[in-house]
Parts: sequence; C-alpha cells; structure tokens
Amino acid sequence: MSMSTATVPTGPVASVRTRPWSHSLPRALHPGAWWLWALGCAVAASRTTNPLILALLVAAVSVVVAWRRTEAPWAMAFRLYLGLAGFIVLVRVGFRILFGADGTTILIGLPRIQLPEPFAITLFGPVSAEALLSGLYGGCQLGAMVICVGAANALANPKRLLAAVPGALYEFGAVLVVALSVFPQLAESVQRVARARRLRSGQGRRHFLRQVMMPVLADSLDRSLDLAAAMDSRGYGRRGEVAAGARHLTSVLLLLAAGGMCVGAYAALDTSGATPGWLGAVALGTSAVVAGTAFRLAGWRARRTRYRPDRWRAAEAVAVVCGLVPAVVLSWLSSADPTLAYPSVSPLVWPGLTVPGLIGLLVAVLPAWATPPPPDSAGSKPSPPPADSTSPKAVPAPTDPTISQATPPSADPTSSEAASPPAGPADSRATPPCRPRPDPAATDPAPPAPEAEEA
Amino acid sequence: MSTADPLGGGRSGRSGRSARPIPVGPKSALMLTLVSLAGLAMFAWPLFRPAQPATVQHAGDAPFIFIVILPLLILLVMVQLTERGMDAKALAMLGVLSAVIAALRPLGAGLNGVETVFFLMILAGRVFGPGFGFVLGCSSIFASALLTAGVGPWMPFQMLASAWVGLGAGLLPERMFGRPVRGWREMAWLIAYGIVAAYLFGLVMNLWFWPYVSGFGQAGLDYVPGGALLDNLRRFLVFTLVSSTAVWDTGRAITDTVLIAVLGPGVLVILRRAVRRANFDPVVEFTPVTDE
Repeated sequence: MSMSTATVPTGPVASVRTRPWSHSLPRALHPGAWWLWALGCAVAASRTTNPLILALLVAAVSVVVAWRRTEAPWAMAFRLYLGLAGFIVLVRVGFRILFGADGTTILIGLPRIQLPEPFAITLFGPVSAEALLSGLYGGCQLGAMVICVGAANALANPKRLLAAVPGALYEFGAVLVVALSVFPQLAESVQRVARARRLRSGQGRRHFLRQVMMPVLADSLDRSLDLAAAMDSRGYGRRGEVAAGARHLTSVLLLLAAGGMCVGAYAALDTSGATPGWLGAVALGTSAVVAGTAFRLAGWRARRTRYRPDRWRAAEAVAVVCGLVPAVVLSWLSSADPTLAYPSVSPLVWPGLTVPGLIGLLVAVLPAWATPPPPDSAGSKPSPPPADSTSPKAVPAPTDPTISQATPPSADPTSSEAASPPAGPADSRATPPCRPRPDPAATDPAPPAPEAEEA
Repeated sequence: MSTADPLGGGRSGRSGRSARPIPVGPKSALMLTLVSLAGLAMFAWPLFRPAQPATVQHAGDAPFIFIVILPLLILLVMVQLTERGMDAKALAMLGVLSAVIAALRPLGAGLNGVETVFFLMILAGRVFGPGFGFVLGCSSIFASALLTAGVGPWMPFQMLASAWVGLGAGLLPERMFGRPVRGWREMAWLIAYGIVAAYLFGLVMNLWFWPYVSGFGQAGLDYVPGGALLDNLRRFLVFTLVSSTAVWDTGRAITDTVLIAVLGPGVLVILRRAVRRANFDPVVEFTPVTDE
C-alpha cells in the first residue's frame, strides 16, 4: 500500500484526495450517476425545512464534492453555488425584515412606513423572531436544493453528459457541444480583433462595442459555416430512410406524451377532489412510457456509434442508491413525523433530529468513499502512468479531448464524441474517424471497440 | 414522397418568404402551441390553483413537479423540431450563436437589469425564423448555464421564456402593405418588440418566483393559495411593480432598445449575409431516371 501511494506522482492535491483505503482505480464516474445522486439529495431537501437536517445534508454533499471533484472549471464553480445559497437565505430573511411579518417575540422595534394608496403595503415594522426564523427555514430549504444541484454541476462533466444524450436529441446535444467548444475561441477572437484595432490606432473607447463586437460576430458566423462544411464533408447529416408512417407516429406519440404530462401535472396538483388521486401518477407514468417510445422512434432516423461510452458499473449504482436513500427517508419522515420535518416557528421550538433521519442523511456522504477517485483533471499536466500498473485502465486516459485540444472546430469537428459524424445505417459498425491525439497517449492501449448504439 | 411535403418540410422557400433553417411544419406548430400553453400554465399556476385542504401533505409540491416536467416538455419540442434532422449549417450556427450569447450574458451580470443577451436572440429570431429562435433561446440559456451561470431549478423556466422571446421575434411580420419590412420600419418593430419582450419576460419570471419568496405576512403582496384569480393577480402585479419593474425590467428594456438601435442594423447585415452564404434553400435530391 505504501509503495502504491508513493508511486502515484499526482502532486499534493491528488494524493490528498486518493484515500489509502480506496482500492478502485481512478476513473470518472458516469455523469448521470452524479446527477441522480444530487437530485435525490435535492428531493430530500425539498421534503423538510428543519435547519439541522438541511445543514447535515449540505455538509454531506460538500464533503463528497470536496473529495470527488476534479480541477475542471465547472468543478470550481461550486463555491458560486454556496454563495448563491447564502444569498437566497439573506434575501428571504431580508424580505421578512423589509415587509415586517407578524410575530409575538419582538427582537427589534422598527417604525412602520405606510406606502401611498396604489401599493397599499407597509414597510418595516417590528421584527419578530418567528418571522426571521420562517424566512431562515424557507431560505435554508431553497439554498440546500441549490447546493445539491451545484454539487451535480461540480462533479459531472457536462460534455460527457451531452455525449450520452439519446439519438432523438442528437442535434440539440450537438448544438450544445458546439457552443461549449466554440466558447473559449471567442476570447481569442476578441483579443485578435482588439489587437488589430490597436494597430489601426483605434485606441479610444468610442465605438468600442461596435468595432469589436461586429467583427467577432462576423468571424464566428464565418467559422460556423466552415464547421458546417467540415461536418458535411465527414458525413454528418446522413440520415437513414424513415418511412412517413413512422414519422407521423413519432409526432403523434410526442403530442400524446406532452398532453399526458399536462394532464398528469394538473391531476397531481388538483387536490380539491375533482380528479381521482391515482390519475396523476397514471398519466405521468403513461406519458413517460409514450415519450420514451417516441424518443426511440425518432432515434431511428440514424444509428450512431459512440466512441468510448461511459459505462454503468457498480460504483454508479452505489452513488444513485446513496442519493435515493435520503430522498426516501425524508419523504417518509415528512409524512410520518411532520413536526420533525417542518419544525414549528410559532410557538418557537428548537428543531429536533432522530436516529433514522440521521442515518438516512449519512448515507448521502458515502459516495465520497464508495466511488472511484476522479482521474487527473484536465487542467493539470498529464502524469505518467503508475509504475506498478498492470491494468490498462490505470493509464490516465484523456477523458475529454476537447479540453486539451485547442484546435478550431473547423479543423476537427469530431473533437467531442457527441459531435462525431453520425454513421449511417450502412456503416454503423465502422470505426470512428481517425484523429490526431494531442496528448502523450501513445502508451494508451487500443480504445475499446466502439459499440453500435442501441437503436 | 409527395411533393407537398418536400424534404425539409418547407425548407424550400414558399411564397417569397426567405428560407428557414429550422422549418416549423403544422405538427411542430401544434406541438409548440401545446407546450407553450402548458408552460404558461406552469408559470401561472399560483393564479389558478384551487384552495387546498389543510390536511393535504403535498400542498407545497407544485413547483417541484413542474421543475421536473417542464424540461421534459422542452425536450419533446426539441425532438419534434429536429425530427427531420437538422441541417449542419443550422446546427453550427445555433452552436456558435449560443456561444456568443453565453459570452454576452456575464457582461450584464454586475449591473442592475442590464440584460445583454436578448437583443441578439431577437435579431437572430428575426433573421432565421421562429423555429430557430425557439431553439436558440433554449440552447443559449442552457449553454450559458453550463458555462457560467449555473444550472438550477430556474433554468427550464428561463429557457422557455427566452425561447418565447426568440419565437416571437421570428413571428414579426415580414411584409406589410405589400412591401417587405426593412430599414427604419424594421428597426421600429424590433425595438418595440424588444421593450415588450423585456417587460413580459420579467413578468413571467416574477410569476414563477413569486410563490417562493411569498409569505411576507402582508395582504398587499402575498401569494394567497386558492385565492380568487383577480385578487391574486392584483397582488402579483403590485409585487412585480414594487420588486422588479422599476429597476430590472426597465433596465432590460432600455438595454434592449439601446443595443438594438446601435448594433441592430450591423448585426442584421451580418446575420443576413450568413444566411445568404449558408444558402439553406436548395435541397439536392437524387431521383432515379424514370421513363416518363
């Protein structure tokens, strides 16, 4: 064990994160697993306003993020979410002070300000502990949900997630991948235009917007045409023949699914008794099935191979279960023990915590150990493979070629998996197009054979 | 394949209208209408919701159900709009414009109400058509959420509201009184639309946000679950007026106006040049030689 930790030359940060008791090799977890885990935690947060439970949940989520995130830019944004959550809490408490809610335990006596007639409201007034606490509890709930979503953002690689979109949404996913890949080039474009402007001695700030933005926009649109030409020449846009009947069926199914979701949402909300209680669940479930069928049908127009798909293994399942457990436990608590899940503010009661709730929350932190550590992140230099590795997976495979690769998309539109040209029905087993690998992955063994995506 | 439904379903310019990179056929229009109505209901649910029995457990679930369902509905529209497959040029332009909008969005973040993304969405919707505008509204907000702004429960609602902004810009009249709307008339249309869109966007986003911040204990501002429609509407309008109209929405409208007036003509020229160069019109069809 000491030898293996000594031979991992991943720098101080990574060696801190690589727990000695973690036997799994570094790899990126499936982004969908992180999202499901985080959404489970968010659902758990939505079922309670108990600040103790919410604080524990936020702590658990933060621990997982701290130990399992990479150095990628989206992972660094987690502190923004923490700040946003704090801002939400402040705003909600601030509104309670500004609009002077009712309460008996007066903390500060502020004067009331009556606004003129059209508004018919009063500002300020006595600040009560009940009002502050109700604002605080509500803010904590929203803030915890925001932090859970932020954790998914920090942990899941958005490009890998987009690469996993189903075939029916291929175009939308490809648009987003193009947008994410083009984004860094805009800064370079702006710099280039600004430099040219300086050379023409256009120093002043007059017309800055017009003189910089217009060329950048024109430049990027020209570039998009180049990209389109490159994609066309690589066979993008080849479509399989889909019978007109199948297309009509797809459209009808899509419409049915949309209508069913509306009915389901309405029935789930209508608690007045006009609609039977089971209708909501049935309509939502049915429309989900119909939508899935429509997605399948729409995906038939082109079968696509996927290069190095993210696999769903045991660790992914563990992460999802660790998100489901808090959601289930807190949903149960909120109906079984409402005074615990929604502590009363009037009269003022100290919020409690019970053992089942505590256990349910502690499960949420398990992915910090139960999942494999993330591979060396994109920002750092590629490290040589560990000396004692026998498995090819130990080679730090470049999980995301688009990051280290700064080539314009016109040169290589296939730089991301989702943007790789779709293979037509005839050549769906063809190998992905050859492309230069920018990093020292020559030692990288042959990538797993691309699998035909299930149509 | 019949000639009434040519490849691309209306991609070949009909009746003098310029070609559309993302055509909106009848089925897509029906889908857009249905989802827009459903989306509007999801924004406006606080106004219509019946009174809740006090014992109901899931009384507070409404926004959470919508947060799940609305993205699914948007995905369904996307599938329908791109059902025939998207042209590579349209796809690349959508991607690039989304990146530009995502880059513009943080520019206004520090200043109250300065919204720097709408003007480009409006101009692009005007030039590329309603379908493109709708998809651009969705994709640009999504891309900017992934890049800078962050994914959150508000994102699907922002996506739909922005998609409406792009869609509406695409629906502005192309011809009036028998002549194409160009020059200063077009600018006037676009600026007026920009102002209207700025206020309506603020209104629907406030409507979505209102029940979350509600509970001030003030009769004049609070969302009252199950209250009469007009009463809640009046309270909501007061809330909007007090909280955001003066600063945020007006700031957004002013930004829209200034940016469209200053940059609009140039951006329109650039976008139209891109349309001309991309040449969405011709569809190459290979038909076997028949002995007619």
